[in-house]
Amino acid sequence: MATQHSRAAARFMIAPSVLLLLGWMLIPLGMTIYFSLLRYNLLMPGNNPFVGFENYSYFLSDPTFLTAMLNTLLLVGGVLLITTVGGILLALLIDQPIWGQGIVRILVIAPFFVMPTVSALVWKNMFMNPVNGLFAWVADLMGLQPYDFLASAPLLSIIGMVSWTWLPFATLILLTALQSLDSEQLEAAEMDGAGPVSRFFHIMLPHLARAITVVILIQTIFHLSIFAEILVTTNGGPGVASTNLTYLVYAESLLRFDVGTGSAGGVVAIILANIVAIFLMRMIGKNLDA
Amino acid sequence: MARAVTPRRKAINSAVAWTLAILIFFPIFWTVLTSFKTEAQAIADPPLFFNFDWTLENYVTVQERSNYFRHFWNSVVISVGSTLLGVIIAVPAAWAMAFVPGKQTKNVLMWMLSTKMLPPVGVLVPIYLIFRNVGLLDTRTGLVIVLTLINLPIIVWMLYTYFREIPGEILEAARMDGATLRSEILYVLTPMAVPGIASTVLLNIILAWNEAFWTLNLTAANAAPLTAFIASYSSPEGLFYAKLSAASTMAIAPILIMGWFSQKQLVRGLTFGAVK
Repeated sequence: MATQHSRAAARFMIAPSVLLLLGWMLIPLGMTIYFSLLRYNLLMPGNNPFVGFENYSYFLSDPTFLTAMLNTLLLVGGVLLITTVGGILLALLIDQPIWGQGIVRILVIAPFFVMPTVSALVWKNMFMNPVNGLFAWVADLMGLQPYDFLASAPLLSIIGMVSWTWLPFATLILLTALQSLDSEQLEAAEMDGAGPVSRFFHIMLPHLARAITVVILIQTIFHLSIFAEILVTTNGGPGVASTNLTYLVYAESLLRFDVGTGSAGGVVAIILANIVAIFLMRMIGKNLDA
Repeated sequence: MARAVTPRRKAINSAVAWTLAILIFFPIFWTVLTSFKTEAQAIADPPLFFNFDWTLENYVTVQERSNYFRHFWNSVVISVGSTLLGVIIAVPAAWAMAFVPGKQTKNVLMWMLSTKMLPPVGVLVPIYLIFRNVGLLDTRTGLVIVLTLINLPIIVWMLYTYFREIPGEILEAARMDGATLRSEILYVLTPMAVPGIASTVLLNIILAWNEAFWTLNLTAANAAPLTAFIASYSSPEGLFYAKLSAASTMAIAPILIMGWFSQKQLVRGLTFGAVK
């Protein structure tokens, strides 16, 4: 049914989306790369001389960069570990015959719809606050000293907050995948005497492999860019203890107005994200053929 | 996968699942509950559960002191505006790719997806400077533009996966019956496409409503949606838990309800069709 005529019409229909996205990608990207090669500070007006890779060597040799990289990896890794393992367990549990499955599902998915600034401020003040927070009250009940979460373990606290938001996401996706599993296969395995553990490892886990990969990759893309949670709780501190790459670039560009260094950091962030993106794209691309 | 289990097993599973679900939901419950307390009751030791005088005072105060509904309205305009604009641009593209697929269709789709992988911080500086120069900083128009562009790939993808499920034979049958292209689109395809478009709109309003990178960086007092407004509570004066809770409750309630209705679409939309 695809004639010459309809092909031309199709191209015409696709063009706006493609051109807009092309512009959105190429113009700012080109500018970021260009700025990253200039000495360019908004506080120092005047001409912005070309300095080659000076911004990169400055950004990459700054000890804060190493801390930020490490924090980024810990943040992404920590959240992934909690949400993936927790998500598998929760999905397996909810998939069992239980009373009120629909309501349980609704309660579990809810945190995913809470905007990051609300979630971060609620956790920071009403739970983690060492004086008035609920955790302090619970600690007091058990005869423990209250713990100042965001001052003493800022990164871990942020990992906790972000995991609360994303555990529902992982659970929902894995639960959806589990429900598409052919129950006859499981019953057959059970008849053949396979115990719950071997059923999990030999039937369920292979079936979930694809969903797990998708959960990990998509979350990685989002978590590399965690920003709001850090901004409203710790501002990257104390010191730089909870500064990730995204926050560091933000601080360089919009707090210190160093456009050159900020842009160099932006390019580094893009390269990092692209490494993950390549794997994700392959996964999704395979699915298109199916 | 409903398999028979013993009643005892079912009771234990249910108890564990309910306990975990309630724990996970608790922060939301606690926020809503606190929004009805006075500031003193909000920090009472031991914490008060239901034994306090319920008040709506915080909701009134939040509105009076900070013109809450202005920010609420900003959120509505930005999320609905960017979603509708995105859908208008994306429907023809998704349509063409689903019904007139060419050799490049897959590549175009994958390329669109790849733009979504661009970390926002990588283009923060240029967008900020462009917006500053053309006067789009702290305007709803500016945010509508940015959110349309960042969500466009998801919108195209979701629509594409829905449109692809519309059987082509129906079109041929309609044509055999002498339908013109116009009536074909109007009476045959549109009714079949509406549910998919509606789901796409729903999911994207949710995503745009909660977007908190661009909204925080590109707005100040004027165009700040709720994400940015709530962030102002990070440096409060005096007691504020009850007011924070009231502002938060109003910010999350509409989207929570929409979210519960769109669980299935969420899976499809956020995994780009890789998990259904």
